[in-house]
Amino acid sequence: MSEATSEILLFQVGPRAFAAVVHDAVRIGSVREVPAGDLVVETALGMPFARERGIVVASHDDGCERTLVVDQVIGVRSVPEVDVQPLPAFAAACLSSGAVIGFVMIDEAPMLLVDLPALVRERPGAAPTESPTERC
Amino acid sequence: MADPKEAPQGDPAAQAPPPEAWFFCLRLLGGRYAFEAPLVTEVVRLGPLTRLPAAPAFLPGVFTHRGEVLPVLDIGQLVGHGAVTIRPSTRAAIVHCGPWKVAVVSDAVEGLVAIPRRALEAPPAESSGVAEFLSAVGRDRAGSIAILDLPRLVETARARAVPAGSGHA
Repeated sequence: MSEATSEILLFQVGPRAFAAVVHDAVRIGSVREVPAGDLVVETALGMPFARERGIVVASHDDGCERTLVVDQVIGVRSVPEVDVQPLPAFAAACLSSGAVIGFVMIDEAPMLLVDLPALVRERPGAAPTESPTERC
Repeated sequence: MADPKEAPQGDPAAQAPPPEAWFFCLRLLGGRYAFEAPLVTEVVRLGPLTRLPAAPAFLPGVFTHRGEVLPVLDIGQLVGHGAVTIRPSTRAAIVHCGPWKVAVVSDAVEGLVAIPRRALEAPPAESSGVAEFLSAVGRDRAGSIAILDLPRLVETARARAVPAGSGHA
């Protein structure tokens, strides 16, 4: 009997690696052609070193696509669902970001699990919009 | 035979509080601090910390213990003193305070201490720093001990943190 698993996307922002549910990512690609207003550069996860790669995320609210700038997309891993854990209650009550929702145990170490739509919605450091995009 | 009216009724220990109170003692902030012993479930050596983004300074990270992810509480940071230096040898007391389960880090763990209840005194009337969270001060053979109201301290920490979701608009 096989155990239930979750598909987890691993990516890096700055010096740290993070995890997200793979279905939250619409696609992955270069950010060079993405309008500045659609880029989400500074988030609760910190600042990326460069503006090369991006994870396109659809907002839960309006379906608008935003591109989270990341330094590296590490890959996708299938992990047992028992290795996906929520944030401890005290930590959840203390964080100023609602985008960090839990942990994925990777090689017996907890890696932060991020709600990508919530993260791009917070958008504390989105690049300034020069002109409104047609989609949103 | 003694007159039953003059003899103690039943077990005296069941009628009066025990003469000693048990506390769990830590060394931090350059002194000895303790809190109610029943709050502590175990003492563990901290594993590698995973830092949390957007976390207040008193929450330096989380670690895994027996497959459970536990948040670490640094009382020094909460009360405006320096952070406890976290080393591979650092130990933490896992405590339950109401709904919250946290690992309190310290410079050193002394363990259980018994303090005669009559030796407990009211804390200084200061309201800043760690004094804000003192419920009593006591003394044992090793010296004075400040008694922390840990449930109030933990609840205050949570209240001082920005609630999730309201930090960034």
